[in-house]
Amino acid sequence: MPKQVKLKIDGEYVNATEGQSVLDAAKANGKFIPSLCHVQGLSGVGACRLCMVEIAGGARPLPACTTPVQEGMVINTVSERLSKYRRMIIELLLSERNHVCAVCVSNGHCELQDMATRLGVTHSSFPYRYPRLPVDASHPRFVLDHNRCILCSRCVRVCAEIEGANTWNIVSRGVNSMVAADLNEPWGDAESCTRCGKCVEACPTGALVVKGKAVEEMVKRTQTVSRLATARGGSR
Amino acid sequence: MLDVKERPQTEVEDQAFIDGVIAEYAGKPGGILSILERVQERNRHKYLSKEVLRWVARKTGEPLSRIYSVATFYSFFNLEPQGDHTVCICRGTACHTRGSRDLLNNAKLILGIRQDPDGGADKLSLTTPDKKFTVRTVACFGQCALAPVVEVDREIFGRMNERELRKVIDRVDQKGTK
Repeated sequence: MPKQVKLKIDGEYVNATEGQSVLDAAKANGKFIPSLCHVQGLSGVGACRLCMVEIAGGARPLPACTTPVQEGMVINTVSERLSKYRRMIIELLLSERNHVCAVCVSNGHCELQDMATRLGVTHSSFPYRYPRLPVDASHPRFVLDHNRCILCSRCVRVCAEIEGANTWNIVSRGVNSMVAADLNEPWGDAESCTRCGKCVEACPTGALVVKGKAVEEMVKRTQTVSRLATARGGSR
Repeated sequence: MLDVKERPQTEVEDQAFIDGVIAEYAGKPGGILSILERVQERNRHKYLSKEVLRWVARKTGEPLSRIYSVATFYSFFNLEPQGDHTVCICRGTACHTRGSRDLLNNAKLILGIRQDPDGGADKLSLTTPDKKFTVRTVACFGQCALAPVVEVDREIFGRMNERELRKVIDRVDQKGTK
């Protein structure tokens, strides 16, 4: 039986299991911390930086998804500074690629859109980059639209940790980073892909979608991914 | 399971070499880096072809996507054949203020390399069609007092200008293939 620890989140005492992340502990106790790259059951990578929280005793905020709980921790998830950071992150994500909700199949079922609404981001104060990015429709069932990708790496992790196919990875670096299948091949030609579609279900935006779905139909089932992860003993 | 039909388009002894290197680093964390580095160094054009990457993936049991991710993350891995000579132009801040952008454009003009499509990209590796020269950029050589700095075939030249650059390139060109 793993050890239980007691910590304080937003002034409330909560119980957590040793080894659990602060984000999971908060979620288990009904607390909401904004996050985009996290999926329950998959490993935490701290890619989106939305779940930054203030921990008493540390000057800098830390990502809740990769910070393990400790006995006696005092955590603050809401503050003026944190909401400013979080809004800025959403604005940067929106300006980085071509996020045009009006023509997106995930409109209305998009975690980026929901998060922007929830955090009160109505526009981006940064100039849009408008990069020229391709759309990969070579796969018989799914489409990869790089314009809507936020590089959260959920697809990479679900493919590696649950399906075990390791089809996806992030290639290149910095502003040139992209998700790519195998040796940067068209998805339809990727020999390791099992066509299971878990990456599509895990994708928070319209970057990975099912072909032939209309706007209202393209609902992602992230919970299914989490359930599968729990079923195979993922505790993270 | 991966089905690799094609063997690497290299000499037989090169395949044996790759297998040997892989055996040497078997089970060592971070071994992929060393394997790719040594395999690239062995190649005449100093690059990693897709066939070689496939072969390494198959032999090490690493996923193709991870090999490709590693090979694209580090700028020292080349996925395209490199020229016999390398002209490396520093695009660090100090060199930039001393005119390294013009120097880069001059190098491209001297070697007859067409401007890359997105023009402003500061990180690049361009090779002449005859595979004689490759022009690369680097973030900093750590010799900012000598700005602008250019490296030609691992020799550092400080306080460069167009005339000097032309001279150095001509000299290297005369020497022919290494």
